[in-house]
Amino acid sequence: MSIVAAFLVPGSPLPMLRPDNLPWGRIAAGLQRAARALAAARPDVLLVYSTQWLAVLDELWLTRPECAGVHVDENWYEFGDLPYRVRVDTELAHACVAATRRIGVQSKGVDYDGFPIDSGTIVAQHFLDAEARVPIVAAANNLYHSPEQTEQLGALAAQLAHEQGKRAAVIGIGGLSGSILRDEIDIRADRIARTEDDQWNRRVLDLIERADVAGLRAVLPQFRAEARADMGFKHFSWLLGALGGRFYGARTHAYGPVYGSGAAVVEFTL
Amino acid sequence: MAQGQILAGFLAPHPPHLVYGENPPQNEPRSEGGWEPLRWAYERARASLDALKPDVLLVHSPHWMTQLGHHFLGVRNLSGKSVDPIFPNLFRYTFDLTVDVELAEACCANAREAGLVAKMMRNPGFRVDYGTITTLHLIRPQWDIPVVGISANNSPYYLNTKEGLHEMDVLGRATRKAIEDTGRRAVLLASNTLSHWHFHEEPAIPEDMSQEHPARYDGYKWDMRMIDLMRRGRTREVFQLLPQFIEEAFAEVKSGAFTWMFSAMGYPEIPGELHGYGTVIGTGNAVMEWNLVKAGLVRDARAAVSA
Ligand SMILES: [Fe+2]
Repeated sequence: MSIVAAFLVPGSPLPMLRPDNLPWGRIAAGLQRAARALAAARPDVLLVYSTQWLAVLDELWLTRPECAGVHVDENWYEFGDLPYRVRVDTELAHACVAATRRIGVQSKGVDYDGFPIDSGTIVAQHFLDAEARVPIVAAANNLYHSPEQTEQLGALAAQLAHEQGKRAAVIGIGGLSGSILRDEIDIRADRIARTEDDQWNRRVLDLIERADVAGLRAVLPQFRAEARADMGFKHFSWLLGALGGRFYGARTHAYGPVYGSGAAVVEFTL
Repeated sequence: MAQGQILAGFLAPHPPHLVYGENPPQNEPRSEGGWEPLRWAYERARASLDALKPDVLLVHSPHWMTQLGHHFLGVRNLSGKSVDPIFPNLFRYTFDLTVDVELAEACCANAREAGLVAKMMRNPGFRVDYGTITTLHLIRPQWDIPVVGISANNSPYYLNTKEGLHEMDVLGRATRKAIEDTGRRAVLLASNTLSHWHFHEEPAIPEDMSQEHPARYDGYKWDMRMIDLMRRGRTREVFQLLPQFIEEAFAEVKSGAFTWMFSAMGYPEIPGELHGYGTVIGTGNAVMEWNLVKAGLVRDARAAVSA
């Protein structure tokens, strides 16, 4: 099996920018635990999908060998900057670009100086592999792709990694419930915006921990609609696709609010 | 200090394709042209703007989308390279802009007073969004007029069109008051496309105009219906129809710039001048001008002399 580790992680920059704020610090601590588990799995490549990297025409894949810089988040600029460095497994990324026609998707590589890497990818890279020891393959969230298509993309990336003989870890970057707090708050008292959202998040995390994939498939449409799941929870579809729709359990390293929306760090048992 | 005033408002959409087609020195990729009628529409708008000689350009952009209120650029000088996240193959633009921070602060303070959540963006490393930069380049490629950049709060999408656009209306009035109080002679730019149905794959040569046409006939018909009303100055009807237009044509005016601009201008019932219309990857784009000086709604000594 080519997938050696799998994680769902939040893409909000708040835990990276303000880990000193207790609610966000808990998520940062969860991400650090995930980083240790990831390192222990010794992956050759990280298959990354962030809900915040948006595409509308074609599917985009990073094909630039290295991207580095300082990003300022368009919402949370007041809390500071997001320095980043990512390395890309261009061999695998190009193979993905070439192969998506098989599933009816036109793809393009992105190899431009100054390309705006999204906050989610930066945050995951920062916590999981700050030194960029392991190269990534990053796929954009095409807004018009369904969860099913996203699952196919994840499966394709995993299969190609396998064909290239690589040990791959899959990382879905995004949130749980998407309701947000729309007024300025005391950040120390951040909370999930709606009780119903909190219940949904816990229910979905419980199904994930019990590896109840059929149960998840059954409730996810409702979760998407009722809890405004981040971008249709497609980062989970990506991960599920890469895992061939199967895993044996999961451990939630952290769960909590990021300005009202739900965030969790989940490590899957493979 | 004389009371400031709004000289004109422009519907000034931001497809990066138009910058790409023009091949200005600031943009890295080179094209064989394309989208000429829309680019020539902007040439006419540029000439009009030039005659107005405003102190400041205010632009509301859907591609700086904020969740916590309405934000204003608040750093005197912002520069860098803007690479379009959606069309990086077309738009990699080196920019250097000057912000009218005093006016931005006045807008922000008024917006807060009017009950909106509003914030000043003070981080000097901030990357200005490509909607703002594209609209500003297309209307004033010299970059010699200070700007106020305003984010699009996500309320029309997060709440609903009605509540969201109500916020934009409040924001427009707050903007107008700030312009009046600071004595600025201002031009407003609504960075919005009309019908927003688009293709999902890009032609091998993006500027191959044999591939360019409205993505949907119903979207095109909606655009013509709205433009016709705007050209006849039937602003009230335009705004009555706006929610239905947004719904049925997937119109980008949902993001609020158009409503913000008209609210700031007081919803004048004057004919808009259509500089041109064209599609970009199938979306409908109109470059239009509502010149309050020409319409006699505003007396402006400087503009009158130069016109
Ligand atoms: Fe746009």
